[in-house]
Amino acid sequence: MRYTLTTTIALIRDTFREAFARKIFWGLFGLSTLLILFFLFLLKIDLVEGAIATVSLFGRTANRTTDVDRLVRGIYGGIATFLCYWGMILAVFASGGLIPSILEPGRIELLLSKPVSRTHILLGRYVGNILVVSCNISFLVLGVWTILGAKTGIWSKTFLISIPVTIFIFAVLLAVVVLIGVLFESAALSTMVTIVLLIMSPILAQTSMMLRLLSSEWSRQIWRTLYYALPKVYDLGKIMLDAIQDETFAGYMPIWTSALFGVVMLSTALAVFARRDF
Amino acid sequence: MQSEYAIETFDLTKVYRSRWKRREVRAVDGISLKVPRGTIFGLLGPNGAGKTTFVKSLLSAVHPTKGSAMLFGRDAREPEARRPIGYLPENHRFPTYFTGIGMLDFYAALSGVDSGQRKKLIPELLALVGLEQWGSMRLGKYSKGMLQRVGLAQALIHSPSMLILDEPTDGVDPVGRRQIRDILTKCEEKGVTIFINSHLLVEVETFCREVAILHKGKVALQGKMHDLTAGKGYRLSVAQAPENLVDELRSKATSLTAKDGLVDFQFATRELVNEALDLVRTQHCEVEALTPTTSTLEEVFVRAVEK
Repeated sequence: MRYTLTTTIALIRDTFREAFARKIFWGLFGLSTLLILFFLFLLKIDLVEGAIATVSLFGRTANRTTDVDRLVRGIYGGIATFLCYWGMILAVFASGGLIPSILEPGRIELLLSKPVSRTHILLGRYVGNILVVSCNISFLVLGVWTILGAKTGIWSKTFLISIPVTIFIFAVLLAVVVLIGVLFESAALSTMVTIVLLIMSPILAQTSMMLRLLSSEWSRQIWRTLYYALPKVYDLGKIMLDAIQDETFAGYMPIWTSALFGVVMLSTALAVFARRDF
Repeated sequence: MQSEYAIETFDLTKVYRSRWKRREVRAVDGISLKVPRGTIFGLLGPNGAGKTTFVKSLLSAVHPTKGSAMLFGRDAREPEARRPIGYLPENHRFPTYFTGIGMLDFYAALSGVDSGQRKKLIPELLALVGLEQWGSMRLGKYSKGMLQRVGLAQALIHSPSMLILDEPTDGVDPVGRRQIRDILTKCEEKGVTIFINSHLLVEVETFCREVAILHKGKVALQGKMHDLTAGKGYRLSVAQAPENLVDELRSKATSLTAKDGLVDFQFATRELVNEALDLVRTQHCEVEALTPTTSTLEEVFVRAVEK
């Protein structure tokens, strides 16, 4: 147990060290900081009796009387959507190389010579990678939440749900990165495949419309299979938005099917990694 | 489980099959080898003999197609079997973002050394390999020899019972080589088993107590260094030998060479060299030298792989 903990911490620390060295961590951190600074300095909100009197952006002022709560939730929704798509693309792009790098000849032999199971090595790397991205997501969300809360006096806790939801989406997508990385040792390919899945998600989410439009039963069946089998980033994003807007969400299906997809991808990656010769 | 052997392999076989073509390469072909505890064992072989695949099978980086391997009596496939092993791979590629200290800390942690111990051991190990001044520098700036030395420190940091070293002095200058040999000698004195995979025959000959020569995935020859290289014969150097004596000695000798008035005869046995000596004395010729000769490891190696 003591050895397991020491080893796990070492593997996670190594992932952070590599993320720092590759400027992945600081790149994501810099982007998050820019966004936080944007809300800190460029968005100015004047409140009069609980309503917004003026909103100033890039020095241009618009006089309006709007419900503050609506505006804040709108901003939160925008950031959550940004995190869900562009944030995930950036995170996947940044993480693509972290799995193939440990499989390089001359490095993997030494790792495997240590008294650590292959499953432990890969899971340590996976968890380390998730933590690197989680730090950045938490920094961005908490930063924006604090600034908007301080400026408007509205501390909407529902926005904080975007932290676990985006980390969950990233964990599912990272499982694909790990599998492709273990199979082909290619950072570019693992990034490409994962981004294709991200792009497919909003298209596949139009299931009810597509099922009406598709003419044959087999094509409808293929669509349904793809929709249920692949990760539902769009639906998860919608769940997150609904939660932020205090609206009810449709159900848990996108969560458990995406989780199942991630578990299958990660288990396959672990099985492939355990059987490979290096 | 205690075993008198550090390494035992039983019919260890590794067949590589290409994915698309039906071609097979038997990199390791039924090797059964026993390496006693506390010895310095050399694994030799020409390129492609299967040395690296054999070592990787011991460390579970390669899964054997058939047979099994044991490390100190434990199945080599178990991660725990690798705990008493320190390994320095050939063509290692330590991440360049590490400093010397960071790298040692990481691999020591993977070997189960706790944080307090690591803090104590890392400066000691850096000093041992002569890199105490360079511990805070990134590995990307290390020379090949420095990387080899920090690699050795990495293999030693958890006080292993066996070192498996793949070309340990590759790229190291003569002073560094001597330093590495001294470190390994100290390890031997402490009872550490040392398993060296090297193509430097002179180094293996001077350093190893036992050796196995692999050829085409099989053990072509195995034994104690002393037994393999000893007992070749005797060389008799005679000054100003007359022609009739040379002719008579030639019939008993296995070979002769003549240079600057000296004729060197090579005899296979002690009886033959004594008979030759009697003949030289009866002819009143002078003996310049009489020396027992041994095979060099290179000769043993060439004979083994050319069989």
